Amino acid sequence: MVEIVQKIKDEFELAFSQVKDKASLMNLKSEYVGKSGKIGLILKSLKDADVETKQQVGKDSNLLKGEVEQMITEKIKSFELEEINKNLEKKKIDISLRSSLQDKGLSSAGFHPVSAIQREIEDIFVSMGFDILDGPHIEDDYHNFEALNIPANHPARDMQDTFWFKDMKHLLRTHTSSIQVRGMESKQPPFKFVGPGKVFRCEATDASHEMVFHQLEGMMVGENISVANLIYFMKTLLSEIFKKETNVRLRPGFFPFVEPGFELDIECLICGGKGCSVCKQSGWVELLPCGMVHPNVLKYGNIDTSKYNGFAFGLGLDRLVMMRYGIDDIRNLHSGDLRFVSQFAEF
Amino acid sequence: MLVSINWIKQYVDLPENITKQELGEKFTLATCEVEKVEAINQYFDLVKIVKVTGVEPHPSADKLRLATVDLGNGESATIVCGAPNVRPGILVPYAPVWAVLPGDFAIEPRKIRGVESCGMLCGETELAIGDDDYGLKEFPEDAPVGMPLSKYLGIETDIIFDIDNKSITHRPDLWGHYGMAREFATVFKKELKDPFSAEWKSAIESKIVKGKSQVERVIEDGTACLAYCSAVVKNVKVGQSPDWLKNRLSSAGLRSINNIVDISNFVMLELGMPNHIFDLSEIKGNKIVIRQAGEDKEFVTLDEAVRNLEPTDSMVCDAERPLAIAGIMGGLNSGVSDSTTELFIETANWVDAMIRKTSTRIGLRTDSSLRFEKHLDSQQCKLAMYRIIDLICQICPDAVVEGDIEFGGVDSKPYSPVMITTSAKTITDTLGIFVDEAEIVDILQRLAFLVEKKGDKLSITVPSFRATKDVSCEADIIEEIGRIIGFDNITPVAPESSLTTVRLSPAKQKERRIKDFLVYSYKALEIMTYPMVGEALLKKAQWPELNEELVLVNSISRDADRMRPSLIPGVLKACAENVKNYSDFRFFEFGRSYHAGGEFAVEKPVLLVGAFSKKATPFMELQDKIEELCSVLRLRPRFEQKSLEQIVPSSWVGIHPFENVGVSAMGKPFAQIFTVHPSLMSEFKMKGFLSLAVVDLSNVMDVELSSNVKYLPLPKFPSSTFDCTVVVPSGEPVARLVEVVSKVKIKEIASVKIADIFEPEDSSKKYVTVRTVFQDRAATLTREFLENSYNQVVKSLEKAGFGLKVD
Ligand SMILES: [Zn+2]
Repeated sequence: MVEIVQKIKDEFELAFSQVKDKASLMNLKSEYVGKSGKIGLILKSLKDADVETKQQVGKDSNLLKGEVEQMITEKIKSFELEEINKNLEKKKIDISLRSSLQDKGLSSAGFHPVSAIQREIEDIFVSMGFDILDGPHIEDDYHNFEALNIPANHPARDMQDTFWFKDMKHLLRTHTSSIQVRGMESKQPPFKFVGPGKVFRCEATDASHEMVFHQLEGMMVGENISVANLIYFMKTLLSEIFKKETNVRLRPGFFPFVEPGFELDIECLICGGKGCSVCKQSGWVELLPCGMVHPNVLKYGNIDTSKYNGFAFGLGLDRLVMMRYGIDDIRNLHSGDLRFVSQFAEF
Repeated sequence: MLVSINWIKQYVDLPENITKQELGEKFTLATCEVEKVEAINQYFDLVKIVKVTGVEPHPSADKLRLATVDLGNGESATIVCGAPNVRPGILVPYAPVWAVLPGDFAIEPRKIRGVESCGMLCGETELAIGDDDYGLKEFPEDAPVGMPLSKYLGIETDIIFDIDNKSITHRPDLWGHYGMAREFATVFKKELKDPFSAEWKSAIESKIVKGKSQVERVIEDGTACLAYCSAVVKNVKVGQSPDWLKNRLSSAGLRSINNIVDISNFVMLELGMPNHIFDLSEIKGNKIVIRQAGEDKEFVTLDEAVRNLEPTDSMVCDAERPLAIAGIMGGLNSGVSDSTTELFIETANWVDAMIRKTSTRIGLRTDSSLRFEKHLDSQQCKLAMYRIIDLICQICPDAVVEGDIEFGGVDSKPYSPVMITTSAKTITDTLGIFVDEAEIVDILQRLAFLVEKKGDKLSITVPSFRATKDVSCEADIIEEIGRIIGFDNITPVAPESSLTTVRLSPAKQKERRIKDFLVYSYKALEIMTYPMVGEALLKKAQWPELNEELVLVNSISRDADRMRPSLIPGVLKACAENVKNYSDFRFFEFGRSYHAGGEFAVEKPVLLVGAFSKKATPFMELQDKIEELCSVLRLRPRFEQKSLEQIVPSSWVGIHPFENVGVSAMGKPFAQIFTVHPSLMSEFKMKGFLSLAVVDLSNVMDVELSSNVKYLPLPKFPSSTFDCTVVVPSGEPVARLVEVVSKVKIKEIASVKIADIFEPEDSSKKYVTVRTVFQDRAATLTREFLENSYNQVVKSLEKAGFGLKVD
């Protein structure tokens, strides 16, 4: 670079390094690259120089001009960014003050634990091809008892278990088994469905007894269904519900609407069958009643018993919820107490 | 019910090499639930008589000594002993290591002051055989060394099964030890002994002094009597029972009274047939009448309690007065006493339901009524009578049966058997495991069924004691086979299933959408309240319907004695509690309300959404959410400032006069959204604002969720927006402006919204900017068109009373 251009350049760089604000930068800009700026004047000051020198100086000063303009443009941008950021700082918010830290009353949301577990189990059944049905809570004698092979003088109809209305013909359903009857009325075999819902028992309440609770009834009717199928089905279902391989055993149990009828025990999930206080050292925990649908029940449902048979079972949902979360008092479920339900909010 | 295994062993030899737990578990899996297995007196088999051969001082304790004993089997042991009477030559009880003495005191191997003690020498109290706690129990010199105490003292050791009564409600035959023994014999494939053979019966018959009974019997209509068997026995001596009888009763949990009462109880526990023995001298007029209580209002039972009678209760009476409440309990006036010498014995059967009804009503459930409730087999009356006579004659050898045993009643005719036909194939198919025909026949025969082969069919005769309400069809036979081969032995098999698709019903889909929306979008908590309420709560909530038609006859509490006519009262109560804990909250319940109507009652699916705030009314946010919910349910709602009678009764005073809106959908009432009136809030001691939305889902749940979405190509021409600000009286709802402009008949109007509201302080007016967007999808809007349209908008507003704001 020609000496004279180099001199201007050094002079500019010194001044540029001392610029503190946008205004002095603009002054510097007009001083060097403005209409009568120092760089422009270089060439003019060389009137007497030879052509070769002029050409060299012209080239160098143009180069310098470009460099200077770029430096100034960049510097302007950086001044502007600084200014925006200063503004942003003025408007700075406290990003640590998340809503969850503020007292805005109760902010958790969620499903009632029974309703959550009910949906979970419904989904398992739907994945296995089951329909979901329901029926009325206020039932008549026929749907709750008679069509389930519970004849007129059966102890299950006794006052101590069933809530009756004044006409002594209507009652609050004592089990979701009444949904079996409703299901058979509306479907043609083969079919499979579950019926979840509230059931009612005339029972004094305490920490482990409720007059209102939830069951899920299941029924599968088809050709050539066997006890072996029932065991397979229950094992699959319960392994899915408990999210681990669950062993089951059947022992005789008496329920008028199934024959053979069973009490189904699961291998204790706490001790794995070795024996603990939960399973009373037996290694097994009684979980649900099930069985092959009694032919009388199928006949009440207008199903041809020479062609079809099936199995049915009933699952206590409140018990599952209480087992899963270790809930100590069943009365919490219908209390409407938000201190209780808010504990099950999981998002 | 308690079952004594020793007693069972009278009728069947049980396998030797099986623990009591295994025995219990096997029985649970095959027959009925064994709740508890208890060993009785088993330490008496372990504690032996030993002879003290030498006594040495203890090296480090003055009061203790080391006794060497001869165990009687050639071995000896050294035992640390502190008893003052320990001395060489005496015979004492010795408990070996691991014996468990009364009070759960287990003998463990241990060192006492540095010296190993192999067991313990015992005193009377430690063994619970006496009260003397001075020192060691000493036996006579001739007592056999090495003999277990059970043998020497004649103490019976036993295993007791506690059977869950619920698991045998359908098996009346299992309410006695002989019936249980039949099960054991079948489960373990052992022979069941028959102590009640034909020879046995004729031996008893030979003891009867033939002739008409001196007691005349009348069974009246309308009573619970199915069968009535009776006999007169004279020359009886009432006294203590022999030890074996006392032991049998105590093992089954009954106390010994006297020999006659004990025999009565023994036969009940053996054959499952309750019976009653009267003092013949107390039967007035030599007459037994089974009749309804009728005029008799009260009766004093054996337990000295006065029982109130209903006219239809069945009573066993003499010529003058009632003697017993049939099938439940005898009276104080006619029982067997120490001076009784002549007996009238009754073995009867009664209608199960009638016994249950009376026993439930008077609150008296006896061993007897518990059994009659199960529908017993009338055929067993005679057997029980023979057995009672058998035992009386054994225990009182001078007793005389005077007159014939009489048997009558509707059910006293010979049993006409229940027959069932099945086949090995049906049984195999239903159980899902191969069962050999020979095994089926064997099992059924062991259970006392008669089986006849007819080709590949099996013709089965049900024994009378299983034909109660128990075995009546093929499925019952399949169960008998299944439980004996063990359901546990069946290998699980996947059911054959055809391919089916399943979709949630519209109601289920909607339920899930509603709950998801309220949880995820409104951030509400789902609650449940009781479907039953009490009158007090309804009155407190000033609810106009008391649902008297849906009152329960047997409610547990007056606070839950009827079905709720609405979710509101219960929710108000729950809110009043929650207000104590939270300043703001949102919740919902998806439930039902119950109303008289239809065939008996109508159940409405109802959603109740609520929001509470201490600071400001949550009405607007709630209303917005319900509007969004409508869109989630694909409904087009109509909001009107009025109450919808079908949702909330108009006579209810709980609604805020202004924060109240009715929502209709599909032309039917859908929801009522309102804030609870402050006066009702204070009734429930709530300070703050509670807004509720009651949504009646009955018209919408079953409607298929259909989509309203219609795609239109994106507009190619620009739209035009027109804002105009009008003057509106400050109390006027602004929705009215939108309504007015929307009705302007210009098809190019794409939307009408409120853009701004300015309300000057201390003014009776507000300025509202209405924004109308025009769009023609086919062409650019011309200036003339727009000017004309703007004018129409302004005119429509002016016509409705909203003049343009003049600057
Ligand atoms: Zn366990």
